[in-house]
Amino acid sequence: MRASRQIKPVGNRNSARFLPFLDRVLSIASRHNAGLLLFMICFGVAVVAVFVVRDLQIASTEAQKMYSGSVHGLQQIGELQYYAQETRRATLYALTTSDSNLQVEYADQSRNADQRVKDGIAEYDRQAKSPPEVTLAVRLSHDWTNYLNVRDEVLASILEGSTKEAVSLDLSGGVPAFELVRQDLNQVKRLYDEDASQRLTHLVASSRRSSWRLAEILGFTFLLSCGAVWIVQRAQMLSSIQLAKLQMEFVASVSHELRTPLAVISSAADNIADGVIKEKDALRSYGSILQKQSRSMGRLVDEILLFASTEDGKNRYVLQPLQVSSIIDSVVNSTEGLVQSGGFVIDRHIEPDLPLVLGEVAGISRCLENLIGNAVKYGGDHRRIVLRAFGSPLEHGFGKEVRISVADRGIGIEPSEIAQIFDPFFRSPRVTAAQIHGTGLGLSLAKRIAEAMGGRLTVVSELNAGSTFTLHLQIAKGEDTRSEYVPPRPSPSLRP
Amino acid sequence: MRCLTTVLVVLSLTAWPQADAGRAVVPEAEELLGEQSATAEPLVIVVNRANPVDNLSFTELRTIFLGGRSHWANGRRITVVMRGPGDPERKAILRDVCGMNEDQLKTHFLRGLFTGEILLSPKILSTPAGVKKFVFNVPGAIGYLRVSDVDATVKTVRIDNHLPSDKGYRLHAQFQVANESE
Repeated sequence: MRASRQIKPVGNRNSARFLPFLDRVLSIASRHNAGLLLFMICFGVAVVAVFVVRDLQIASTEAQKMYSGSVHGLQQIGELQYYAQETRRATLYALTTSDSNLQVEYADQSRNADQRVKDGIAEYDRQAKSPPEVTLAVRLSHDWTNYLNVRDEVLASILEGSTKEAVSLDLSGGVPAFELVRQDLNQVKRLYDEDASQRLTHLVASSRRSSWRLAEILGFTFLLSCGAVWIVQRAQMLSSIQLAKLQMEFVASVSHELRTPLAVISSAADNIADGVIKEKDALRSYGSILQKQSRSMGRLVDEILLFASTEDGKNRYVLQPLQVSSIIDSVVNSTEGLVQSGGFVIDRHIEPDLPLVLGEVAGISRCLENLIGNAVKYGGDHRRIVLRAFGSPLEHGFGKEVRISVADRGIGIEPSEIAQIFDPFFRSPRVTAAQIHGTGLGLSLAKRIAEAMGGRLTVVSELNAGSTFTLHLQIAKGEDTRSEYVPPRPSPSLRP
Repeated sequence: MRCLTTVLVVLSLTAWPQADAGRAVVPEAEELLGEQSATAEPLVIVVNRANPVDNLSFTELRTIFLGGRSHWANGRRITVVMRGPGDPERKAILRDVCGMNEDQLKTHFLRGLFTGEILLSPKILSTPAGVKKFVFNVPGAIGYLRVSDVDATVKTVRIDNHLPSDKGYRLHAQFQVANESE
């Protein structure tokens, strides 16, 4: 008890002073350290992945925009310039021959090229968004139409055979009109260059922003990981402190449980040794007291030894088909004294024709004795214990099982303590305050025994309304239907 | 006659290269010619789509094709487009419009250009597509095409208020069409 008091304030002082809520949460989470750590890391990785993917998508979109908007635009304007030159070049080629067939061919080439230019200008007009681009598109279309009008006159003169007139027309109208077109195309190219430059700046800025964001995300993830490690370490520390505290309480409790019968034995021995007790009847009564107290001490020591032997979790039971009803009868007989001394009555409801279960007599008996003992201890004023045995379908999967339930109408269990009652050394503060003696090993032991036999132990409880503990046992399949049951031996049947 | 000679020469060189010189090839050629028939198809007078002229009299057409008129009413210079010598359409124009043969036409234009009475000699184009493109490109151009060669790039002109599809249309050309073998 002293050791318990030394440890208890350490945890409580930290909790009360700094992080009471967090510590409470952590004490719950301490059972799931690995899961918590995995969740935190997964969460961090997911956050990083989302941000990285988002940044990559933004960069990709920017690059695509840059390509489609600028690179494609520059390619388009290059083609426009080429076909504009081709229009003029084909017209001038017509001047170099007097063959009307060739002249017509050149005129045709010039018209094909000018159609490509018209299409290109229309495409640029469609894509134009900013006011300068729209204005330029209109001006380019106008200037090109003007040039084409002159070009048509020049072509007509060439085809008519008036070369001199064609040259004169070209010099006076064609050259200036084409120069305007050339300037317009250069202006378009300049706008594309400026747009490309702007987009490049955006891309660089976006890339720089992405790098910073990535660094921030990595930093955040690092902090998150540190936090996760800290939380897990703190949870482990709290768990260790809690375990140490429980162990100290256990030692204190066991010492107390041992000291009480020891004090009685010592007093009785002193009285007999000092010759205070001389009468035969009194001596018999003292002998009975000594016998009872020493058996109580023996049972306690047996329980502790049994718990210690099941600590490694190995299955040491030899399972065999058993008849449930006979084991229940035996357990009820062995606990009759305890039940009657508490003023309790046991109602037995055993389903007829229950199948044989797989287990060991001593293990099942130990579990049921423990559950009946608890029902007596915590049964409250409603002194009735209901013991039922029945077949039931498995909760998970197909098939059936046999369930033995022990129900009382006592003080019940707090909902927050339900998950802890099967922990070794756990004792509810409410029970401790009510001066109900115990070691905190009984339910833990019963659960281990049940699991070692391939079964399980469950509880349903309501505060101040009672608890029902149920032992689930697997049905013996393909085994000999004859039970090899023998009455339980006085000592636990755990094999080394 | 010139065509007949050409066909005979080609046949003698390709179909019967080892034939004797004295072999009678004329009946073969006549047999071949017998598989062809002459078909008359209207000739369409076409001008540039921008030309406001819709109708010309046969006399005006003759004057224009012989270089006697140099400008249209809108002031545009008239440019006559013709196919090359030997072409059936040209033959029809020479016969029906100009009323001359090749030599007479050549002499007419040489004299007209020399004296300055004619400003431009006709432009010669080798294909109907070339004629169409020329007329399309030159606002003052005038030419002729078969009905089947006419499209929306050029404008058809009535002759004496007759369209080629009308009864009484005077411009037709004779074309040799090969009959389908049975």
